[in-house]
Amino acid sequence: MASQSNMQFRDDPTAEDSRHGHFMKEALLMGEKAIELKETPVGCVLVYDDQIVGWGMNDTNRFMNGTKHAEFIAIAQMLQNYPRSALQSTDLYVTAEPCVMCASALKQYRIRNVYFGAANDRFGGTGGVLSLHSDSSIDPKYPVYGGLFEKEAIMLLRRFYIQENEKAPNPRPKKNRELNSRTSQMSPLPGTGQSLPTRGPTRYNRVGNSKPRSLGV
Amino acid sequence: MDIEKVIRDLHPLGGQVLPIRTVQETRPVEEFADALVAEVNVKAASKVIKALDSAFPKDPNLPLSHLRRFAKREMLPQPLREAIEAQNAPAAPGQTLFVLLSPPLPDVEKLKAILTPFAPTPAPTTPTDTAADGAAEESPVPTIHLHPVKVPLYPPFNTTQAETWTKTLWPVVFNPAAPRSFVAPPPQTLARAQESIEPHAGYYLSLAQRVAQEAEQSGLGRSVGAVIVDPAIASELAPEDNDQTTWDEAVLAVAGDARYSRPEGGAPSQAQQHPYIAPNPASKTYNADLEGGPELHALMRAVELIARWRRENDREGPSDTPESARLSPLESHFLYRHSPVPVPLSPSSLKRKHEDHVSESDIVPASNDLHTPLPAPPSVDHAAPAPATPRIRTRAQGGYLCTDLDVYLSHEPCVCCSMGLLLSRFRAVVFPRGGRLESGGLASEPVVGPVAEDGTEASSGEHERGYYGLHWRKELNWRALGFEFVEDVDVEGDGAVFHA
Repeated sequence: MASQSNMQFRDDPTAEDSRHGHFMKEALLMGEKAIELKETPVGCVLVYDDQIVGWGMNDTNRFMNGTKHAEFIAIAQMLQNYPRSALQSTDLYVTAEPCVMCASALKQYRIRNVYFGAANDRFGGTGGVLSLHSDSSIDPKYPVYGGLFEKEAIMLLRRFYIQENEKAPNPRPKKNRELNSRTSQMSPLPGTGQSLPTRGPTRYNRVGNSKPRSLGV
Repeated sequence: MDIEKVIRDLHPLGGQVLPIRTVQETRPVEEFADALVAEVNVKAASKVIKALDSAFPKDPNLPLSHLRRFAKREMLPQPLREAIEAQNAPAAPGQTLFVLLSPPLPDVEKLKAILTPFAPTPAPTTPTDTAADGAAEESPVPTIHLHPVKVPLYPPFNTTQAETWTKTLWPVVFNPAAPRSFVAPPPQTLARAQESIEPHAGYYLSLAQRVAQEAEQSGLGRSVGAVIVDPAIASELAPEDNDQTTWDEAVLAVAGDARYSRPEGGAPSQAQQHPYIAPNPASKTYNADLEGGPELHALMRAVELIARWRRENDREGPSDTPESARLSPLESHFLYRHSPVPVPLSPSSLKRKHEDHVSESDIVPASNDLHTPLPAPPSVDHAAPAPATPRIRTRAQGGYLCTDLDVYLSHEPCVCCSMGLLLSRFRAVVFPRGGRLESGGLASEPVVGPVAEDGTEASSGEHERGYYGLHWRKELNWRALGFEFVEDVDVEGDGAVFHA
């Protein structure tokens, strides 16, 4: 399902002006806000009845809580004004693929559709690592569409990962890192200024606090 | 409620702690991939490696160190050896080796070009071979033949598997000390954690069940409880303490489920709609619209309490969040009994701290007011004359999320909470097997039930559930150690359907 719809978006040159493009740009703006606040730049919006009813950005550092992902923040905001049942008619636009935690939460909340930018092969829950949206469970499945404004979402994350996470116990020095501004989608062909064709989702390192892999034991 | 008495009256669950196997252990993936084998001159072995490694850099995500790079002819599995001998010109015995070209496979022509300089010199034709007289005078051109093989992508779990592969596919090394490429926790790590968990697990789980009971009786949530323990503190508790009066010293926070506590869209919460009715009527069925959300589940709330405590003590960050604003008596007792107030402290400073806390609770929106239970009453023993050292490490003390902590749950957490505990960096998670849920995210295999007379397995009568084994997935960025507590007495799950 996801790959089919990827094609729809990728082949649609007017995506930028489309309804989906409009809402995804709002999500990207939330990501920009996150990067200003030194949070992992993942942003999202919830759209109900063509209106944005919830805005969210990753807020784990400020809350000192690793579960404060953008999706939860946006849902909490929406539920101040809408009953939970409204989520069944609500679409999520998020710059990065929802993680396993959020993918399950969205299922429990019975989200209608999920549109995301960059795939997440470290802990993506809608195709990256697990495919919770299409697994059978006590809640219904939901459709997911990936690759929407993918390069913008990836650049947002890359800009973040060349920074240090001051909140981590042992921040890793990243002074010498340089921003890699190339993605498989963006690499200009010499002399033409045109883009190479898309070759599937580009992978990035991880969403979350940048701390080395550890057992914690 | 006399909290101290409630705690003292708890009876530990009796039973044993068992590691939850990883999904790779319960469903070992035997993934194989195509590889190639080429015969090369034995003297060129090191040059071959150099040439291959520089031409085709290894993929660090595909560690194939369990595959031997070279094999002597006599080490080759029989079928491969026969296939090779049918094709290759016979080389002088002992003069050649077979090199493995492991996946991902590069271009065959490029491979041949790289390897040709190291091709074995064919054995000179014997003088008695008269048929090919003229042609045999010229020495044949050394050529590289590539033979297809299948190789296992993951290291063997044991020697038997290694031997089987060695005999049928390609020589494989079994290294019991090597991290099993993240498919399972290192045995020593697992054993150490299990040892540290065993002495008090029955108590912490009993407390988790008591917290669950409190949540249910308040009408605010389902009967699910979570207890966060610092194993470093637990390890200092005297294990020979027969009275077991100190086990709760290591408890940092407890939290009950509160899914019915949140008003949504301006409407009163489920708890407010059914005041003084417990358990909440919404808990009789699973109606998604009445289930609050996973952030109101016990584990997520416990994690948020630790975070909230740190925020309050670091005096930065948001001071409170509505979903955790109100604490039950047990929650308040454990979270605030050991505040890191600088010593020496005066009773008045302690008192002021209380008031701070209460006023913070009071600033939550009025719509969040609940009929029951009462807002977190700071416990009295908070002002005890000899304040213990802070239990929860502050940010300044290196406290970061739930790193190095263990969480004990009355039920198997849902998929969302299971990932939440990984994102919170817990060391370990423990729940009673009787608390398994169809919607759970940790179990990795069905419980093998007692075999009935007719030989069919006693079925729990449940539908298919996912066995995600999320505590330890090699694909995920974070991992925790997972344990089930198997009680001595048979505890049947009640087959309830909801997310814990």
